[in-house]
Amino acid sequence: MLLVLSDEHKEHLGFLPEVDSAVVGEFGRIAVEFLRKGTNPKIYEGAARKLSVDAETVQHGVEGLMYLLTESSKLMISEVDFQDSVLVLGFTEELNHLLQQLYLENRKEIRHILGELTPSLPHYHNLEWRLDVQLASRALRHQVKPTVTMKLHLEESGGDKSAKVLQTDPATLMHLIQELEKALAELKTTHCRRILRNIK
Amino acid sequence: MELSESVQKGLQSLADATFFDMKTFSVFIEVAFRSLLSAHADRSVLDQPEFKRLDQKLLKHCHTAATTCILEGVKQNADKSTISACLEDVGFDAERTEVFYTTYQKCRSDLETLLSSLGRCPPHINDVSWRLEYCIKNGHVHKVNEPSYLISLNVENANNGGSSEDLHFSCTMEQLQDLVGKMKDAAKSLEKATQL
Repeated sequence: MLLVLSDEHKEHLGFLPEVDSAVVGEFGRIAVEFLRKGTNPKIYEGAARKLSVDAETVQHGVEGLMYLLTESSKLMISEVDFQDSVLVLGFTEELNHLLQQLYLENRKEIRHILGELTPSLPHYHNLEWRLDVQLASRALRHQVKPTVTMKLHLEESGGDKSAKVLQTDPATLMHLIQELEKALAELKTTHCRRILRNIK
Repeated sequence: MELSESVQKGLQSLADATFFDMKTFSVFIEVAFRSLLSAHADRSVLDQPEFKRLDQKLLKHCHTAATTCILEGVKQNADKSTISACLEDVGFDAERTEVFYTTYQKCRSDLETLLSSLGRCPPHINDVSWRLEYCIKNGHVHKVNEPSYLISLNVENANNGGSSEDLHFSCTMEQLQDLVGKMKDAAKSLEKATQL
């Protein structure tokens, strides 16, 4: 599948052949850094001064690179398709190769970063448990009531962690284990295996 | 068994044949135990025909005294001698003590269950539901192609009047295996503990 670049996008990227490949490499590094941590406009000004161009041109160049990387990573396009998509920009082979390397080295990480944007529920992080026996309470003495206290650690996609303290009794614990084992077994059935194998 | 003065006075009235003859007494004891075990507070619990001729204030006082005494007994896991001694102190004759104790024995385990369910505890897990899904793509990333589980724990808050809520979270197969593994560890140590 080919990436379709808009005219505006092509224009922004048109700045890249005009500078050294070392500079393009640096821009690539900056683009990935911005994708990881967010943009920092000061960098544009510094680079613009060094290269004697507009800060805006530098910004467009870097942003063009960022968009190229995110779109390619999102669609997970193959090397060949990437090459073909970039060909339309009319860059030198060296530059194309540089861009492809940039894409291949960083796509996994970029996909992970994009994945954090998707709506999602908190996901499981860890479970701590403790076995207690209740001996007495305000309402009743002389008890022997076994309980299992658990601390369920969950993590949001943004990295926020939360922990919930829960309790259950032995019978319910066995029931929970049974149900969840059924859930795990489901992945190994022919039906699921067939789907997982064929939808790639 | 420590009972307050007010409770003792109420029990003394209960022991008094001028207020409660044997028949009325027996009905009263049944009513007292039943009122503790019934699920809903019944305003008409004391509207028995046998109690018509009794002073309503006295009736209520005796009811409170009787139920307090019953709950204290169950709470302390009182045996026959403790109960008999306590009732003797407030003037119960042997027959009344016997009637009280027989009903006490009959209702004891139900009352214990009732009392053991009272109290504060962390939210209690009642049930779990799960869903297995295969994510093909989403708005930000295409070709995801990964299975994932969505787990819902049905949790009951003992504190907020038994309201239940669902705790949702997602996990991968490895994470679910980790979760189940840890639960099985807990179950295993439970089994070991019961064999001690």
